[in-house]
Amino acid sequence: MTAPPIEARGLEQSFGFTPVLRDVNLRVEPGAGVLICGRNGAGKSTLLSLLAGLGTPTAGEALLFGSPSNRLAPALRRRLGLLSHQSFLYPNLTARENLTFFCALYRIHNPAPLVQSWIERVGLAAAAEERVRGFSRGMEQRLALARALLPTPDVLLMDEPFTALDPEGAALAAALVREALARGCAVLLTAHQVAQPGSLALAPYELVRGRLVRLDAALNLRDSAPSGSGGAEGSRRNSPTVV
Amino acid sequence: MAGFAAILRKDLRLELRAGESVLTLVALALLILVVMVFALNPAGGARDAGTAAGALWVALIFAGTMGATRSLAAERENGCLRALLLSPVDRATLFCAKLTAAFIFMAIAEAAAVFVLVLFFNLDFDARLLRLGPSLALGALGFAALVTLLAAIAGRLRAGDLLLPLLAVPMFVPALIAGVKGGELALAGSPLGAAAQWLKLLAAFDVLFLSAGYLLFEYAIGDD
Repeated sequence: MTAPPIEARGLEQSFGFTPVLRDVNLRVEPGAGVLICGRNGAGKSTLLSLLAGLGTPTAGEALLFGSPSNRLAPALRRRLGLLSHQSFLYPNLTARENLTFFCALYRIHNPAPLVQSWIERVGLAAAAEERVRGFSRGMEQRLALARALLPTPDVLLMDEPFTALDPEGAALAAALVREALARGCAVLLTAHQVAQPGSLALAPYELVRGRLVRLDAALNLRDSAPSGSGGAEGSRRNSPTVV
Repeated sequence: MAGFAAILRKDLRLELRAGESVLTLVALALLILVVMVFALNPAGGARDAGTAAGALWVALIFAGTMGATRSLAAERENGCLRALLLSPVDRATLFCAKLTAAFIFMAIAEAAAVFVLVLFFNLDFDARLLRLGPSLALGALGFAALVTLLAAIAGRLRAGDLLLPLLAVPMFVPALIAGVKGGELALAGSPLGAAAQWLKLLAAFDVLFLSAGYLLFEYAIGDD
């Protein structure tokens, strides 16, 4: 049996004497999506950081592809895409230079066509040669989306991906998530609210006092874009569960 | 190797564009040299090779420390260091790339500092300056390795910028003595062979600092 792309087992994290995450158990299969909601300070970003391997849990395990996420082999790190509240972009490089640099890090050969297609996809063709330092927050978020998805990851962790995006940008982000789900990527997304732009079929959870609680209704918002049925059904079939 | 080249190319491109590290290094090295000239020989006209070599190394140590701090601080802007740590590039490769960039920036600062040293200490532009090359190159390599490793640790700590020189300079003292002695012999016009023992000592420290950095950088940088 192959290990799930994303798994948390009894995950706990404390800062000093303050517990942030308590006994978090989660399993996300390929093609499935999970939405984790919670208030400010609920621990969403901490959970995402631990799952990405950017931190060591106080107790329990954060696993990606069955390996502890903070000790992932380079080949497995290649399969992870993280969209953080920080953009991970170099302010003094242009949009194109940033993406080309990440292509080189991920050993993507002949990156120019791929970079160009991503720049066009996220609507930054007119700003491709401008430095990121001059970008608005929304433009930076669009480019960060391209950066995270550039290596075609099998696991996508997104911390409030719709933040700072205009309605068009939010619809684009939702479409990119749907596409990722449709090709079998496991997606974990955090947000303040259950309601999200686009038609995303994500299993909703909430972090309450550090514990992960499954929300009753499956999330399937119907507000704008047409449904990406393949990804949505795939994610329902492989619905993640709190163990 | 692709990751090494990509990170180094990126660092050099950023430096060419902003010029922050090299300009800061050169400016700081020159300021320290100016102060040293007036502090050590207010009357001017000094040709004391030992004083000149000592002043040069003091300037380079402080400038190099600042350069390494800035290099990793720049990576922390927008969380870029996290992106590097999440990428398939291993930590040792990241260390080698950052160290190479720091070495290049220090070498440029050294060239500028030597030029000013010649002017301020009434030295001649002759073959003796070429003999300074090996000790400066070996010293810069070892110091770049040491401060790159320590900057990774210091960057995770509160007031890490203040801590870095306190950690780096004492650890570099043996190599610093060798560098000053090697430089003194070069400026005094001694043949390169006369400084062989100091150059060997510098090379030994380079091996030590490079090995320590290569092996320990992963733990030093942690998960940021």
